[in-house]
Amino acid sequence: MNDLYLPVIVALLPLVACMLVAQRNPYHALVIRGVLGAVATLVYALLGAADVALTEALVGTMLAITLYAIAVRSSLVLHLGVLKDESSGIEHFQERLKDIFSQWHLRLELTLYSDASELHQALIHKEVHLTCIRSKSTENERQVYHARTRISRIYDILRKELSGPEVTVTRVTVPTSGKKPS
Amino acid sequence: MNIILIAMVIALLIPIYTAWHDEGIWQKMLALASISIKASIMILVISVLRDDWMLGVAGVISLSVGNASLMLLAHIMKRLREQQL
Repeated sequence: MNDLYLPVIVALLPLVACMLVAQRNPYHALVIRGVLGAVATLVYALLGAADVALTEALVGTMLAITLYAIAVRSSLVLHLGVLKDESSGIEHFQERLKDIFSQWHLRLELTLYSDASELHQALIHKEVHLTCIRSKSTENERQVYHARTRISRIYDILRKELSGPEVTVTRVTVPTSGKKPS
Repeated sequence: MNIILIAMVIALLIPIYTAWHDEGIWQKMLALASISIKASIMILVISVLRDDWMLGVAGVISLSVGNASLMLLAHIMKRLREQQL
């Protein structure tokens, strides 16, 4: 077991682990997790544990990254509620939102509602994270977008990124569904 | 034989550097494919060196599983890109 190559190969494992921790994009981290699995398989096989290496290759490399890819894909999503008859005229604003939230690796998903009260109810009942309504400004006939959210982090991001007279961002406080503190 | 394995480790460091340095997701996937195949070949070389058939079987299975996981991950990534566009 006292081979010269042993410490060199074992040193690869902390190197790749540090690379994995340094990743910011969740999808890049998944790919590096696959690399870590391959290197871990090599190290385990080298140290004589063929059964552990086999388990690492099957579970660590294949099952874990596939399941995590699906989990990341379904969880990093922002639900945007819009009205059915406005959905075609809102594309420009939707593109802007997509650009803003792609910095946080969030995907935008559209949900259509038939009228404004239904849209508001969806926001209150936590079906959507953000709603957007379009209206015409009275002074200069320009399009004004009203964005409403109930999540303070999204509100902060939108306040920082969307500045200008054509967009208003408001935050809705939703009563908690749990028991009231008495 | 030590020299061959050290050379293989140096060859393994090239795709690890690529995976760390390149920003694109597909470059990282290529690096993953390269690393997973190289690690499996190293396991096979070590199994021949030590005359250990159990390690050889582990190496062969890790070679096929590495490719399968790469295909699965690439398919999910492709579907995700299509949705975003």
